[in-house]
Amino acid sequence: MKLSYQHIKPFLHTRQHVASRWMGYIGLGLGVLLLLISVQLYININVLLKDKNPRKDGYDYISVTKLISNENMAEAHSFSEAEIEEIKSQSFIQDATPLLANKFLVRASGSSVLPFTTDLFLESIDNRFLDTIPENFTWKEGQAIVPIIMSADYLELYNTVFAPSKDLPQFSEKSISSVLIQLECYSPNGNAKIFKANVVGLSNRINSVLVPVNFLEWANKSLGSSSNINPSRIFIKTTDANNPELLNFLQQKNYNINKDKTKFGRVKQLLQAIVSGLSGFGVLIILLAMLLFSFYLQLMIARSKDNLQLLLTLGYSPGWLSKTVAKRWVPVYTGIVLAALILAAIFQWSFQQFILNSRSDLSPYLHWMVIIIAVFLLLLSIFINYRLVKKLLLKL
Amino acid sequence: MQITLQKIIPVFFNATDVSRSQVWNQQVAFDEAANTHIIAPSGSGKTSLIHFLYGLRNDFTGEIKYDGVSIKNFDKEKKSTLRQQTISIVFQDLRLFPDQTVYENIAIKRLLSPFHAADQITAMASRLGIQNKLQQLCGTCSYGEQQRIAIIRALQQPFQYLLLDEPFSNLDEANRQKAMELIQEEATARKASIILADLKKIDYFKAERILHL
Repeated sequence: MKLSYQHIKPFLHTRQHVASRWMGYIGLGLGVLLLLISVQLYININVLLKDKNPRKDGYDYISVTKLISNENMAEAHSFSEAEIEEIKSQSFIQDATPLLANKFLVRASGSSVLPFTTDLFLESIDNRFLDTIPENFTWKEGQAIVPIIMSADYLELYNTVFAPSKDLPQFSEKSISSVLIQLECYSPNGNAKIFKANVVGLSNRINSVLVPVNFLEWANKSLGSSSNINPSRIFIKTTDANNPELLNFLQQKNYNINKDKTKFGRVKQLLQAIVSGLSGFGVLIILLAMLLFSFYLQLMIARSKDNLQLLLTLGYSPGWLSKTVAKRWVPVYTGIVLAALILAAIFQWSFQQFILNSRSDLSPYLHWMVIIIAVFLLLLSIFINYRLVKKLLLKL
Repeated sequence: MQITLQKIIPVFFNATDVSRSQVWNQQVAFDEAANTHIIAPSGSGKTSLIHFLYGLRNDFTGEIKYDGVSIKNFDKEKKSTLRQQTISIVFQDLRLFPDQTVYENIAIKRLLSPFHAADQITAMASRLGIQNKLQQLCGTCSYGEQQRIAIIRALQQPFQYLLLDEPFSNLDEANRQKAMELIQEEATARKASIILADLKKIDYFKAERILHL
């Protein structure tokens, strides 16, 4: 018959302090469960709050301005060369370019089809930042017709709000391109240059009225009033608009961005902080449970001290004894971690099925990382337990 | 395996205490072929010597060597192996588990490194007259019975040396002889030698050498 724990069990006072042993077990189970669920939730948040806007080339393009507050209203809000370079140099920003604005007065009026006149602004941006570049979006000096790319939102606002109120015709994306607009550009001393303009494309990315860069440069030079040509809008290109590093940088510099683009990032930051707090709490409970359990072990060994000492005197080796005593808890720990893992799996399944109504982008099963953490916790508990028992036995 | 004592003196003894001893501060060698009878009056360090030999205590000067290796250099694991395979003991204070049955007290030693089949426990208990005590709690047995339990326990394992520290002090003459007979049979079966320490000479112990402590 092979010597086993069953043979030495009668010599150990295991029946005392059962309550603290069970509290240790329950604490360990709860801690492991909390930690596993937190990790799974952390992963869920990352999956669910990934920006799902269609991105043609995998980048986000965001307009950055300086925040205008009551305190700094009077100051200039344009970006200097150095500031633009600083923005470009950030590792989480792949590219940046200024949006040039008109420095002269612009007035647009429709033809008989579109009988209204409005003051207007114009901007231009490097073509590499445009989502659509129609072939005819070019201009050279002497050209009478200026091509325009307009924000798709503007057309929508015109069609749904402005046109019905003025009894004006509504336009589709295609038909708008056939409308010729008169573009009157005035210098401060009253000189005027008249152009025809037509909308050659609509942009979903840039909220503006865009003209080719060389047109605006020429017009600013020949009609412009101010020598300050620093831009007040910068467009940045980034792989993830929700990157916390990017958000921190912008916040720190007091730069303003379109909150819609980064709302996921902010919600994610908050949720991740809460879930990290939860997992920290889980780790704390595990530590407390381990501590409680170690007290139980110390008590058991202290109470069984005479018997254990005699077993050692009779020739039982401290190595064998600690391995055998520690091994007794392997099934217990395995059971606890397995139970926590099953509960976490049930949680994840219910979360996906009932709270998210079986959303297909989230798996109803536990992430492999959660399983690895569970196995790691199990091995760690067994190892700590073995070391503790051996240390206590060698002290006898 | 040879055990050698090289001028050992318990640290709590002074030189005059040991001047007439044939063991303390002497060169003594034990080998497997010969039994040794150590005769020692009370207070002469008999139990200390047995504990030193068994590796329980190190409070002595000089060296005790097992095949040339000082026992002071043995770690706990090495001592365990020694106690499982090479050396067995009957303590003067017996060192039994009072809350376990007589059978369990003997079996826990046999399980560690069995020399005999389990049924030998009952057979030996019968020879020493305690077969009806096997299921009784050890703590409720008389001292004489406990002495016989300790002897049977010591005979469950393989050994080359059997250390006996006043093993028969509470036994009547008939039981002493039965116990001695059993011990000598078991030692012969293992080609082992016995080191028996007692207050006075035990006539029926066949010792090749007598040392006065």
